[in-house]
Amino acid sequence: MNGAQQAALAARKKDTRSRWLLSTPALLIIFFAAVGPLLVMLLYSFMAKGDYGDVRFGEFSLEGWTSVLFQRDIFDDTLGFADAHLSIIWRSIQLSFFTTILTLILGFPTAYFIATRPPHTREIWVFLVTIPFWTNLLIRTFAMQQVIRHEGMLNNALIWLGIIKQPLQIMYTDTANLLGMTYVYLPLMVLPLYASIEKLDFRLVEAGYDLYATRFQVLRRVVIPLVKPGLIAGSILVFIPSLGAYVIPRVLGGGKNMMLGNLIEMQFGSGRNWPLGAAMSITLMALVMVALIFYVRNASRGGTGHA
Amino acid sequence: MLKSRFDVRAQPGFGLITLFTFFALYLPIGALVVYSFNGAESLSRWDGFSTRWFVVAWQNAAVQDAAMRSLVIASWAAFLASVAATMAALATTRTAPYRGLTFKYALINQPLMVPEIVTAVALLIVFSRIKVWTGYSGLGYLIVAHTAFCIPFAYLPIRARLESMDLTLERAAADLYATPWKTFWHVTLPLLRPAIIAGFMLAFVISLDDVVITEFVKSGGQDTLPTYMLGQLRRETSPEINAIATVFLALSTALVVVFFFINRRKQ
Amino acid sequence: MDQTQVKSANGGAIGMRAIQKWFGTFQAVNDVTLDIRSNEFFTLLGPSGCGKTTLLRMIAGFELPTEGQVLLDGKDISSLRPNQRPVNTVFQNYALFPHLTVAENIGFGLKMLGTPKSKIDGVVKEMLKLVHLEGRGDNAVTQLSGGQQQRVALARALAPQPKVLLLDEPLSALDLKLRKSMQMELKRLQLETGITFVFVTHDQEEALTMSDRIAVMSTGTVRQVGTPWDIYDRPAERFVADFIGETNFLEADVVSVSGNKARVRLSSGAEIPATFPTDLTPSGKVTIVVRPEHAQVSAPSPASLLQGVIHEVVYLGTDTHLHIRLDDGTTFMVRQQNARSGHSGFSKDDTVGIGFSDDVAQILRD
Repeated sequence: MNGAQQAALAARKKDTRSRWLLSTPALLIIFFAAVGPLLVMLLYSFMAKGDYGDVRFGEFSLEGWTSVLFQRDIFDDTLGFADAHLSIIWRSIQLSFFTTILTLILGFPTAYFIATRPPHTREIWVFLVTIPFWTNLLIRTFAMQQVIRHEGMLNNALIWLGIIKQPLQIMYTDTANLLGMTYVYLPLMVLPLYASIEKLDFRLVEAGYDLYATRFQVLRRVVIPLVKPGLIAGSILVFIPSLGAYVIPRVLGGGKNMMLGNLIEMQFGSGRNWPLGAAMSITLMALVMVALIFYVRNASRGGTGHA
Repeated sequence: MLKSRFDVRAQPGFGLITLFTFFALYLPIGALVVYSFNGAESLSRWDGFSTRWFVVAWQNAAVQDAAMRSLVIASWAAFLASVAATMAALATTRTAPYRGLTFKYALINQPLMVPEIVTAVALLIVFSRIKVWTGYSGLGYLIVAHTAFCIPFAYLPIRARLESMDLTLERAAADLYATPWKTFWHVTLPLLRPAIIAGFMLAFVISLDDVVITEFVKSGGQDTLPTYMLGQLRRETSPEINAIATVFLALSTALVVVFFFINRRKQ
Repeated sequence: MDQTQVKSANGGAIGMRAIQKWFGTFQAVNDVTLDIRSNEFFTLLGPSGCGKTTLLRMIAGFELPTEGQVLLDGKDISSLRPNQRPVNTVFQNYALFPHLTVAENIGFGLKMLGTPKSKIDGVVKEMLKLVHLEGRGDNAVTQLSGGQQQRVALARALAPQPKVLLLDEPLSALDLKLRKSMQMELKRLQLETGITFVFVTHDQEEALTMSDRIAVMSTGTVRQVGTPWDIYDRPAERFVADFIGETNFLEADVVSVSGNKARVRLSSGAEIPATFPTDLTPSGKVTIVVRPEHAQVSAPSPASLLQGVIHEVVYLGTDTHLHIRLDDGTTFMVRQQNARSGHSGFSKDDTVGIGFSDDVAQILRD
């Protein structure tokens, strides 16, 4: 290596070092208050639970993990399925799935409509969709509660229209959770869909019509395949937060329609089973990771038809 | 006279669904705002326009306490997050990929990828143990926790601005014998300022809004405005909650609008 | 079976009646009435913005005339949507579906019409053969070259056997050599299938090469319709004469008119016969056009129709262009083929006489 190359290398090293120095505060904070605790939680999931919550520190046990799916029969100590847990996990997955479907049904036409407005008005439409999104989650959940309550707007409207005589019980049901999550996560479906549709080359749609496709066929055979990346992104952006929902089921679902998030909380409250809570959290995270990997895989495929 | 052209973009029914969607999006929060001006005692009937509930909320000591705490935490968290994010952005942008860059990038954005409830209980576990060891139970835990999840939000606009910034200005400064520190202070930083402010505001709003992590990390009596509201939702609701929610709404909407216009101006 | 019989079964005839098209305050098409015959290769030729693409899109159904009608085989199709018209388009940017293979692209139209799969497969195979892309059916369209993509676009538009095929400047993105070979391809395809081709281009050479008839357009109106020979040798207007090839414009006075021939006096005093557009009765001062290759240069003599001094000689390999300044100040260009290698025989500043035969002068309408 000659002098110039050595100098360049030294400069590069200095640059890399100063970059590491600069990123230290951010990395430290995140490690200490976000990533690190996850690792600690992993440890805790393998410890024995304490009598008054917390754990018997250092004592190893697999009970936390087995209790996620199984429970011991109190009489003969055999392992059977923990039905309560399984039904809650299954309900979470189902609700997340249906929320995704609902947001798709509402969100796709909305995103498409906005994307096909004249260019200068599109920004405004998008802005209007974004505003509710920036509103506090709790406030939106509360607002939804007001609508579906016994004396809420929905019931009042339905009675006034004569469709029902008595108010419907929507609060504290699965439907309440579904409506709440759809309401809260709808913008998350619209935005990536909009981004994808906006880039669509509509000359391809023209070609479709030229070749005898009906409006529906054009939608099915040309538009949708070409906006697949947006569809997948939107679905993931709705499915993942839905899985980990906590506030919405707590406010709208009440104690009887728990989702995974509430079940986890219970272990740190009245359930007094920290290792189980830790194990459940990690299970939730694993489910999310699976969904993310699925997204990354599919996002790299497809994504053509952009002008 | 016929229509002017065959609209290849139109799809039947989509306009209606869009209308319904916007209606559905705004109706609940619209109703919430309207009802905060309800003169009646409970939310079951409407009893004339009144601002009494705003006054009640304003005078509620618990609300004042919670609001104050929210602002303090948000200010600290946004400030610390902005500083850390700026440094991190400088470290990770405008460079050829180097070892550890992807790792850093993933780490910085980690809070965006993990469900809040998971982070919340993890923090609960760690902080409760630290509380046992040190006996400290002040606002520090909340501030640190908030800073952590605010960093990626502050990071995004700063990084975006850095990437699109013209290097020539800084090169010119270096050419004129400015040291790296001087270049940074007098050239880079001023250019970056709008993005840093945007990042700060974003982090501020995110911190104000947080409910899940705060709920699990706080010690007794350490309510922020969102956790206070969450607690109140268990009981018989009065328009007081609506009033608080309306103020909150107004605040975040105002911040978003400002943020939107700052972004617009940058272009 | 008689070739002509097969052909007339395929191609549709397009009629455009008093078409007006306004985009807001901009008039794109101004009172166009046009007939495109069954089985012909018809070209809409003109500079950009002349309205030719708008006209094409009105045949396809993507634009609707503000006034007027579009007819197919005598029936008014103005209110039919594009997917209801037995008309297919080859788009300028090909518009191939990137998420479908070559075969799926070609079969798209038939699939939309509900044709059974087995039949689609057969047609696709035929089409691939027709455009010389056998075996490429399973390729992704992004893997193909520009020329190949163009052929897929063609096959896709031909597969549903439309009555009329519209081509919107399909060759503009190809390089010269490919363009020339594709021009011959298109001509061959039109003859083989018998489908009426309506071709849009701004390249006059292309139009002259391929078309049965050409409509020359400018600023929303049709200036002249005719065979390539009509357009080139007998331009009716200044615009047409100027747009197609190179021309010499001469001022002249009408001496007499008899039947479809006229006699005019040139500025030099010479009298020559001239043809004129059938709807015109020439009189007084007129402009006549003479194509550069129809004139000859010789040593000056009293028999010369015109006389002048060569002020520029341009050698172009196959031809030599002689730019001559006439006695009355106007410029006249003569194109000589370099039949023998070397010097054309004339140089700058030579005084020369210009002559041309009796049947090359044409009076313009202007």
